[in-house]
Amino acid sequence: MQNKSTKALYLIPYGAWILLFVVAPIALVVYYSLFDIHGDFTFSNYKAFFSSVYLELTLSSFWYAFLITLFSLLISYPTAYFLTKTKHKQLWLLLIIIPSWINLLLKTYAFIGIFGQYGPINAFFAAIGIGSTQLLFTDFSFIFVSVYIFIPFMILPIFNAIDRLNPALIDASRDLGASPWTTFRRVILPLTMNGVKSGIQVTFIPALSLFMITRLIAGNKVITLGTAIEQQFLVTQNWGMGSTIAVFLILFMFIIMLFTGQKEKGGASVGKTK
Amino acid sequence: MTQQPIIRFDNVSKRYNDDTTVLSNISFEMERGKFYTLLGPSGCGKTTILRLIAGFIEPSSGEIQFNGKKINEVPPNERQVNTVFQDYALFPHLNVFENVAFGLRIKKIKQAEVKRRVEEALRFVNLQGYENREISEMSGGQRQRVAIARAIVNDPEIILLDEPLSALDLKLRTEMQYELRELQQRLGKTFIFVTHDQEEALAMSDEIFVMNAGEIVQSGTPIDIYDEPINRFVADFIGESNIVDGVMIRDHLVRFAGKEFECVDAGLDTNEKIEVVIRPEDLEITSPERGKLIVTVDTQLFRGVHYELSTYDRDGNEWLVHSTRKAQVGDEIGLDFDPEAIHVMRLNESEEDFDRRLESYEVPDHAE
Amino acid sequence: MGKQSNAQKLFLALVFIILYAPIFFLIFYSFNSNGTMSSFESFTWEHYAAVFDDTRLIMIVLNTVIVALLSALISTAIGVLGALAIVYLKNRKLRNTLLSLNNVLIVSPDVIIGASFLILFTAVGVRLGFASVLISHIAFSVPIVVLMVLPKLLEMSDSLIDAARDLGASGRDVLTRVIIPYIKPGIFAGFFLALTYSLDDFAVTFFVTGNGFSTLSVEIYSMARAGISLTINALSGLIFIVTIGLVLVYYALNRRNRTPVTGVKK
Ligand SMILES: Nc1ncnc2c1ncn2[C@@H]1O[C@H](COP(=O)(O)OP(=O)(O)OP(=O)(O)O)[C@@H](O)[C@H]1O
Ligand SMILES: [Mg+2]
Repeated sequence: MQNKSTKALYLIPYGAWILLFVVAPIALVVYYSLFDIHGDFTFSNYKAFFSSVYLELTLSSFWYAFLITLFSLLISYPTAYFLTKTKHKQLWLLLIIIPSWINLLLKTYAFIGIFGQYGPINAFFAAIGIGSTQLLFTDFSFIFVSVYIFIPFMILPIFNAIDRLNPALIDASRDLGASPWTTFRRVILPLTMNGVKSGIQVTFIPALSLFMITRLIAGNKVITLGTAIEQQFLVTQNWGMGSTIAVFLILFMFIIMLFTGQKEKGGASVGKTK
Repeated sequence: MTQQPIIRFDNVSKRYNDDTTVLSNISFEMERGKFYTLLGPSGCGKTTILRLIAGFIEPSSGEIQFNGKKINEVPPNERQVNTVFQDYALFPHLNVFENVAFGLRIKKIKQAEVKRRVEEALRFVNLQGYENREISEMSGGQRQRVAIARAIVNDPEIILLDEPLSALDLKLRTEMQYELRELQQRLGKTFIFVTHDQEEALAMSDEIFVMNAGEIVQSGTPIDIYDEPINRFVADFIGESNIVDGVMIRDHLVRFAGKEFECVDAGLDTNEKIEVVIRPEDLEITSPERGKLIVTVDTQLFRGVHYELSTYDRDGNEWLVHSTRKAQVGDEIGLDFDPEAIHVMRLNESEEDFDRRLESYEVPDHAE
Repeated sequence: MGKQSNAQKLFLALVFIILYAPIFFLIFYSFNSNGTMSSFESFTWEHYAAVFDDTRLIMIVLNTVIVALLSALISTAIGVLGALAIVYLKNRKLRNTLLSLNNVLIVSPDVIIGASFLILFTAVGVRLGFASVLISHIAFSVPIVVLMVLPKLLEMSDSLIDAARDLGASGRDVLTRVIIPYIKPGIFAGFFLALTYSLDDFAVTFFVTGNGFSTLSVEIYSMARAGISLTINALSGLIFIVTIGLVLVYYALNRRNRTPVTGVKK
């Protein structure tokens, strides 16, 4: 048995980290949300949040996050499923993940060129006679780029869930007379639900709080909760209002985690998106 | 020959969280160079005793002595005791050589000597040439031998083995029983071996400690324990047996199954209620006229070396019989046995009283 | 499961093309002498030369790498100690509380982390710049390291530690000769993840960096807001090659340690 005091020593740096960087920041955000721009104690920030401007903002933020998550899922699930059937699946998976390791800003920057007035997409449209269209700074480009960014993070947990599935279960289902489609619906999908939930978790919450893509690709047309926080903190310098929005974002985060929480705690959700 | 015992437990108790008593007031002594076995059902506290000796846990009360010195609080790394763990606990990040060398490296022994001693230990367990193998590349039996080599290489006074054979198949298990016993005799070390397999205990040990629910119920040589079980629990646990209620009429006369029989037991109260044990192999099949008991054959199984018959007497007592002779199911047969085959057990007799009683009528027998 | 149909292959191929297209698009135009990302004129290295001539940019790259390496190292140390502390905690409630707190930073959106750290640094009086960025990166990497190391520690059987003690190892020996070697794959995985998260981070850094200090992500952001510059493209090409190199190193290390490439336990 190791010495009790050495064991206590392990706890000190980690405990200090938790207090300083987990507990204190949240407490400070809540504290700051109770002050207005002049530093006076007030609930006006909360009142303001329930005004139509912020409610609309919240709704549209949720709507975009929903669309982004939905499209990511529609692409990721089949991709993950087909990937598990490839011969060198770990290698293919690695190839899916590599793009996620290229700096996010660079990929976003690439889309400025691709969707640009003289970019390849518009050139293609011109070639088939549609004529050039405004692609950049639209809802479409915002959702497209976001989905592009989130796909690898969604694929990973789903892939792991499908990969972990015991193949004998599928054989058993087929043996009991289920068609491939029924097998998928009744056996594979329910058993991989945990992977889907972690995928939704790592997509929906960050999608609510995107701000870099909204600025670069959506050109301030799409405003999300994340953009609003950034705006309040770094542009308007109204930390009180920014903190209030942050408090609600944290609340939403906990609610979403409750919904997508899992009984079995796996390391599957170790996918963090910027 | 009053040699200093190597291990002595003096009223040792072990409690967890102050309420669950795992061992209660255990006292025993172990002599140097013998093969001891702790035998008992799952959860009776065998591993707990080993962990107390190894030093992983401390007793809640009582004293543990090693060579006459109290060692209650000595940490495991300062005890001359090494353990072969049930799951072997081999280090997966080290190869066979480094696993065996682990203890020597801790003691900062020179490389040349480490090499010599590790190779010697591996030779002892018939694993020479396996030095550079990874643990994952070894079979179950080989891993077990690595675990033994890792323990003996440190030249401990005592080697503790916690059910080391339980993961092996029957054939390998029997083989390893021979090897272990032989190894212990070659090394001359004290082995304390844990098992819940009574055949294994009978085959290997110099002395067996039968345990139940945190207490040592009986200790003695395999033959003593097999022939003279102290109570129903031991009789049942060590081999199959027929146990019936009876009454002691007077010395050398006992009544059970509706009849009186001559026996060798004495020194009990007149008309004392007792239990009688007769081993299935001590019962012999004869004709009903010549049998001391008359029974009907209910089932018969062929067990390889013998037939196992389940029979019932007229009072409804079941009698198991092991016989090389065959009988017919449904037949009435007689069962014959010697007076020595009857073992009388007093109810709730302590081990000391039991030993004293046995000595009182067995000493003349042994004084040849 | 059945064989892959052609439709499935086509689908996968499309996904791969879309995933890689932007990256190769960037690299392709990094060789364009025209200076735009639309019409390719002729091949040139000039944008790469521009990257190496730009001492400010090179300083920023160096800053980024230094912050990543330092934060990965320090957070790995804290994270390993944290995982050990969690494992040694007997009290179940306390243990679960610690684990939940550990996961808060993993699921928190970067905007929240950035904004709350900004408040924290201002409240405590840390000057925004190298120190605040480094501290932030350490802070958000610690829980990742804990999550990578913890399963390894939990899977380790107690009897291994008993065995080491039994063979004469002191508490220190047990740590250095048994526990650390055993959890090494987890430590490596944690370190590499911390490294990539730091290199990749934009939002948190954007909040807590001051005027004088910048990392690559923040720099690219301001360059991109200013419009297209093929220096960024050349930089992408270089980063892509370095990333592939890192992946190969990680892959090789992992091969030796026999854990899946993805860093996610099966
Ligand atoms: N750390 C502990 N805390 C509480 N109770 C314990 C602890 N360790 C063991 N016990 C209890 O002590 C009793 C004896 O355990 P022990 O491991 O000695 O049994 P055993 O005889 O070795 O059994 P087996 O044959 O199954 O290995 C069991 O009832 C067990 O539940
Ligand atoms: Mg045990």
